[in-house]
Amino acid sequence: MDFSVVVEYFPRLLEGAWVSVQLVALSVVLGALVALPIALARISQNWWIKGFPYAYIFFFRGTPLLVQIFLVYYGASQFDVVRESFLWPILREPYWCAIIAFTLNTSAYTAEIFRGAIQAIPEGEVEACKVVGMTKAQMYRRVLLPRAFGIVLPAYGNEIILMLKGSALASTITILDLTGMARTIIARTYTPIEIFLAAGGIYLAISMVIIAIFRQVEKRQNRYLGTVSIKVPDKG
Amino acid sequence: MSKAPALELIDIHKTFTDVEVLKGISLKAYDGDVISILGSSGSGKSTFLRCINLLENPTKGEIIFNGESLKLTSSGRDLAAADMKQLTKMRQQIGFVFQSFNLWPHMTVLQNVMEGPSHVLKRPKHEVMDYAEHLLNKVGIADKKHMYPNQLSGGQQQRVAIARTLAMDPQVILFDEPTSALDPELVGEVLGVMRKLAEEGRTMLIVTHEMSFAKEVSSEVVFLHKGVVEEKGTPDKVFNSPDSERCRTFLSSTY
Repeated sequence: MDFSVVVEYFPRLLEGAWVSVQLVALSVVLGALVALPIALARISQNWWIKGFPYAYIFFFRGTPLLVQIFLVYYGASQFDVVRESFLWPILREPYWCAIIAFTLNTSAYTAEIFRGAIQAIPEGEVEACKVVGMTKAQMYRRVLLPRAFGIVLPAYGNEIILMLKGSALASTITILDLTGMARTIIARTYTPIEIFLAAGGIYLAISMVIIAIFRQVEKRQNRYLGTVSIKVPDKG
Repeated sequence: MSKAPALELIDIHKTFTDVEVLKGISLKAYDGDVISILGSSGSGKSTFLRCINLLENPTKGEIIFNGESLKLTSSGRDLAAADMKQLTKMRQQIGFVFQSFNLWPHMTVLQNVMEGPSHVLKRPKHEVMDYAEHLLNKVGIADKKHMYPNQLSGGQQQRVAIARTLAMDPQVILFDEPTSALDPELVGEVLGVMRKLAEEGRTMLIVTHEMSFAKEVSSEVVFLHKGVVEEKGTPDKVFNSPDSERCRTFLSSTY
């Protein structure tokens, strides 16, 4: 084993890690924006409204992320309409294809997490909104969404870590994320153990940062819960 | 009294799956009335109270508030509000105090009390703040205004909930077993606040198990049994010489 290659190629690995972080950050933010209306529609009593989110979530949770990436990257270019449309400059870039696939995928999971959180709010608190004469919109804005935000944190932090690990799949469509960069280096140096160990270590470090951030936000957000504290597994 | 009642319920029925919980209950509350609703558990008293502002949709009946009949439309087997605007407007003027307080845990005591007047009634913030502090003072909890509900005892939470209700300046206040979730030594502080409200001449409908309290503050007592009004009258009449045998047994076992 020769760990000098790790030292030599460490800056390249960090470059890859930066791409991974971008992919995760962008798709998580966009995913949350997409997830919110989907979660709200999913809660509706009305079959017309909840049918679409139901199918959406069913599809994206039920198929592998890798298949979804391939569908966007290889699939979209099969259609002339796509290639001739204004979207082509975006859809031709593997980077944006990965972001689109990740966003769609994480939004489905996140929508379910949001829905669970909104439905976990005790019915009495909802009734308290009704009896002061709040409209539905006021109820969501003032009570349900802020409450759900606190409830959602542990599960949501988990989803972001899953997304970080899932982002390694971006390397299959030529993106030089952390995994892609590691494989490129290995192809040159034939040192798979050293480089993959280093890459694994960097993934671990990023996970730990995400966990630490979420623990802080949770502490702040849930301070009003007094004695209740929610533990996040310390596995990194 | 020749004046129209503030709140009138006509022939309220409620059926859950196949149990008829309310079998036609009517009630009139005039301004300043304090009406206690008694009955054993399962008599339908809480359900009746919850039907008044449609927390529970009645199966049949009519609700008239300030001479205005609440528009209802059938939805499945029950009735539901036909005009959400009318319902929210009505709810803004009818306070409701829950057995389990139901404060919003992500807001401080002060924010809980200010929420309705500032965001629903859209009153100016400084005015609402002064009023909220005045009300918290009145229920004896002004020193806890920056705390969160979960940091308070049950009795304190219920007093905050009462202040939150008062902040809306409701014309009628409904109390759904406000002391039933409290430890015995905390019941007194909540009843004390409610007694003050009754003395101020507020219109109140109170579902309760606190017999001596009901006897003392009520202008009228209603005894429900198996979904019907079994006995009704002044506290003196209901407690001392009830016509109904059921009512007599109930009172002798609990009071």
